[in-house]
Amino acid sequence: MPLWKTEAITLHSRRWGEADRIVTLYTLKLGKVRGVARGARRMNSQFGAGLEPFGHVEVTFFEKGQDALVRISQVDVRESFLRLRESLAQMSAAARLVNIVSALSADRDAGTRIFSTLLNGLQSLQDKCDPVLTSMIVQIQILGHTGFRPQTDHCASCNNPYALQAARFCAVSGGLLCRHCEGQSHGQSLPMSPGSVAFIQQARRLPFPAATRLKAVGQIRREVEAAIEAYIMEVIGRQLPAMDFLAAESHPPSYGVANDQRPFPPHPMENNIEVSG
Amino acid sequence: MSVQQQGLLATLAREFVKLPGIGQKTAHRLAFHIMKARSEDALRLADAIRDVKAHVTFCVQCRNIAEHELCEICQDPKRDRTKVLVVEEPSTLHAIERSRGFHGLYHVLSGALSPLDGVGPTEIRAHELEQRVKEGGITEVIVATNPTIEGEATAIYLTNVLKPHGVHVSRIAYGIPVGMDIEYADDITLTKSIEGRREL
Repeated sequence: MPLWKTEAITLHSRRWGEADRIVTLYTLKLGKVRGVARGARRMNSQFGAGLEPFGHVEVTFFEKGQDALVRISQVDVRESFLRLRESLAQMSAAARLVNIVSALSADRDAGTRIFSTLLNGLQSLQDKCDPVLTSMIVQIQILGHTGFRPQTDHCASCNNPYALQAARFCAVSGGLLCRHCEGQSHGQSLPMSPGSVAFIQQARRLPFPAATRLKAVGQIRREVEAAIEAYIMEVIGRQLPAMDFLAAESHPPSYGVANDQRPFPPHPMENNIEVSG
Repeated sequence: MSVQQQGLLATLAREFVKLPGIGQKTAHRLAFHIMKARSEDALRLADAIRDVKAHVTFCVQCRNIAEHELCEICQDPKRDRTKVLVVEEPSTLHAIERSRGFHGLYHVLSGALSPLDGVGPTEIRAHELEQRVKEGGITEVIVATNPTIEGEATAIYLTNVLKPHGVHVSRIAYGIPVGMDIEYADDITLTKSIEGRREL
């Protein structure tokens, strides 16, 4: 019955039974771990608010036999990211970050860089950085840290590094396609301007604090956002909850179709929705 | 305790296992209890279950549990009809009623918004609440959703939707439970309770 004590970020927390919670944590030492917190929903619970999503905590847990779920015995909050709860835009972006880490990381496969990127991303959102831009940068970096880096240095199909002018992004192929290979993508590719390619490359290469100084507006933002969204959907095989979840039903995802005429409606978060508490 | 896997007693135990918080052992204990109980007691339980399924429904106005078109609270003329308290589930409504601390009307959302799971406003009864406010007569809406990410998201959304209609929208306070030592409170609860302090 090994006992673990490690830093962790709470990814999800779901009700279980009468008063318990099943919590998904991304821990520094063990990677993604799922555990049961007995009595966590009771008023006098020792866990308090320590198991709320987005929280950076110091958690103690033990394993019980062959059970995949660990038993969480103690939680101390390091940073609750309380201010994220004051804005729907920041909350939605933070939800996207934990969802992407949860979807891309394997159980019990520790990744220090994934942990620090997620933590930095949540901190940036709490500091009121642009939620869409922050989430794009974190998603690009997490894709790299988990082995799913989108190919932007040469054609993802023919490996030709010199034919990427006016390239297109193909989620199925995992990166940019040259003009020659684009014709074979059966209309599944998205437009990708040189500025958008440069943004993805810089977001991937720069350390997080420097990456947050990148700017992406207008066409670049729309292209990168659409490409990353389509690529993540291809990698994990399902649609993650939309960042604009308030309008999810009125804006069904349209990625993966012939996209020359894609209208690219402005993302609601671009309008800097400010929500008073 | 062992029960044969076939037969009427095993069937009853299997039905009990489907209830929340009931495991195999408890289910078998309940099944044996029913078997040993007097016939009229056991049949009264069966009748009560049948009556609940036949006659209990949801209030058309607030979505509370009701035996008629309107629940007892919505029918009560002594209730303050200018105040509406919004909860996620009927179980929360009954907890608040138990406290006897609120004398207005309720609105049950039947869920909460979830940025983590992509649950949007059309999946809860937010539009119905807006309609109630639009119809007039309500001056204050008190949002009593849970102090979770989902509850907070719902509270912010409702604030944005309802305030343009000229009603006062408030949120229940966060704080230290009565009888608890402050030193044992977690950081978030302490921060929120200091932010939500009131003048004496």
